[in-house]
Amino acid sequence: MKRGTAIQLGTYGIVCLAFLLVPSFVDDAFILNKYARYLVLGILAVALSLSWGYTGILNLGQAMSFGLGSYCMAMVLKLRTVPVHTGKAGLPDFMVWNNVDTLPWFWEPFHSMAFGLFAGIAVPVALAALLGWFVFRGRVTGVYVAIITLATLVVVNLMIIDQQRFTGGFNGITDLAQLEIFGLTFDAYGSSSYYLIAAALTFCLFFALAVTKSKAGLVLQAIRDNENRVRYFGYDVAFFKIFAFSVSAGIAGIAGMLYTIVMEFASPTFLGVQLSLSVVIWCAVGGRQSLLGAALGAIIVTGMQGALSESETFLKTWTLIMGFIFVVVVLFLPKGLAGVVEGLSNRVFGHGDSSKPEPNIVPDSLGAKSEAESLR
Amino acid sequence: MSKNGQEHLVLTGVVVSFNGFQAVDGLTLKVSKGELRCIIGPNGAGKTTALDTICGKTGLTAGSITFMGKRIDNLEEHQIARAGIGRKFQVPSVFRDLTVHENLEVARSKRSGVLANAFCFERDSEREELEKLAEFIGLQECLEIPAGHLSHGQTQWLEMALLVAQDPELILMDEPTAGMTVQETHKTAELFIRLKEKHTLIVVEHDMGFVKEIGDVISVMHQGKLLAEGTVEQIAEHPEVRSVYLGTGGIGSA
Repeated sequence: MKRGTAIQLGTYGIVCLAFLLVPSFVDDAFILNKYARYLVLGILAVALSLSWGYTGILNLGQAMSFGLGSYCMAMVLKLRTVPVHTGKAGLPDFMVWNNVDTLPWFWEPFHSMAFGLFAGIAVPVALAALLGWFVFRGRVTGVYVAIITLATLVVVNLMIIDQQRFTGGFNGITDLAQLEIFGLTFDAYGSSSYYLIAAALTFCLFFALAVTKSKAGLVLQAIRDNENRVRYFGYDVAFFKIFAFSVSAGIAGIAGMLYTIVMEFASPTFLGVQLSLSVVIWCAVGGRQSLLGAALGAIIVTGMQGALSESETFLKTWTLIMGFIFVVVVLFLPKGLAGVVEGLSNRVFGHGDSSKPEPNIVPDSLGAKSEAESLR
Repeated sequence: MSKNGQEHLVLTGVVVSFNGFQAVDGLTLKVSKGELRCIIGPNGAGKTTALDTICGKTGLTAGSITFMGKRIDNLEEHQIARAGIGRKFQVPSVFRDLTVHENLEVARSKRSGVLANAFCFERDSEREELEKLAEFIGLQECLEIPAGHLSHGQTQWLEMALLVAQDPELILMDEPTAGMTVQETHKTAELFIRLKEKHTLIVVEHDMGFVKEIGDVISVMHQGKLLAEGTVEQIAEHPEVRSVYLGTGGIGSA
């Protein structure tokens, strides 16, 4: 194994372990729930890093996969609420208020927990694969992909709001049961949910890392760099892109399911344009070409948003401060925080895994310039 | 496997029209296996477009292309590449963010499916072979640096190494010596003569010295058509070629 890979695996392991140890030091249920929420958003950022940072697909509709996962989980948990909160024969309360008599057919399978967990991943993956089929087979690239994904997100969001009888409309699906699997109950404010989420983040990080370290991951990065050249080596670029897009959607679906568990509801805002664009900012701040960087970016930015908006001093100015930080990062740190850490570690430990000094072919200033160009 | 001398690639009456402009106008070309064919001609003669049609970048308006007995003009780019055709473009196009070694790994594309590659982690096994290749092109010191940091000449070499790593039956080269020094051009000629042992090559080139050094058979294109075909001597004596391309001074002064 290369030394660089070993260092990377070690870093990922240590950070994930640190996340898993948090409940040992924090016993305030409210704070733990808040941290769990940040970690879920970290998973969502990992998903975008895989498609944007590694494959060059700027998916502005990442929240669609997230929201669909979230609704799948909410549907399962809604059907498990105690009969007091529901209508006749376990009909969800909002359906009773909307004069629905029988459970719609697409709600039926969600009586099964296993189906719900499966659907939370499969529905986003299937939708992404279908959208990807048209977009990438049609060789749509660049900013048009961003526009199409954003438009699709808005369509799905409006459909969910419009079908209030079946989806709860603007209110979403509220008043849910707690998740119970294998005799374990996951209370949103207990450490069990936190552990579940930290474990899921660990899994998603290492899974995504495995994808990027495989030969397919290398081809994806080559596609990001020069899509047309890749074709002439015999790789079917469209299928590679559909693959990355779908895997990313699956990870976002997992994040969505977990979000329902910590928030205890599902809402159309989970498929909102605002959330979807925030993910892009988290990735940019943390470093989109680093999975761990993106996750930490999400956790740091949302954590800071939480801290600033809760403190009285910054009550009116916190959005301004956040905006200023984004501008500074985008202007001066094109690789995000991960780029800063990488630069520092290269200085301390020497470069990567080659024992020889790197031949200085091009002055540093040129390298920095090409970085800025690639961002444009 | 077809025997040496058998027709490997056949273009029959190929027409490419861009909004009425006939970039290639009824081109018929036959290339045998193991041949090193040079295509020369004045600017706008349709040389690059001809290569584009072979590798699938540009669709045909009329005509057909067969490679090893199979029609390839209706295939997509990646299918043509899988059939055994590799291409070097005029503008160097390597993966600038990937290291030299990673570039070579991507080029080694015998296995090109998504899932086959998703479960492929044993990437170190190919390392020795790729290191040898890097040594051959003089980039063994640069394996771990991003290709975007290479000089222009090094980038050209890397591109050629990518084709060697890809190991296609037929290699299409578009102006491989553009921007190279005399020594580099000479080294490129050596490389081509080595490549010729295992591959069929089609080279579009302007540098007549280089063409003289490597070429078996030269095809001259003019206004989208094949003007003449033959050895260096035959072409040099051809009256029409002299008037449209080489000038009255002959092949030596071009």
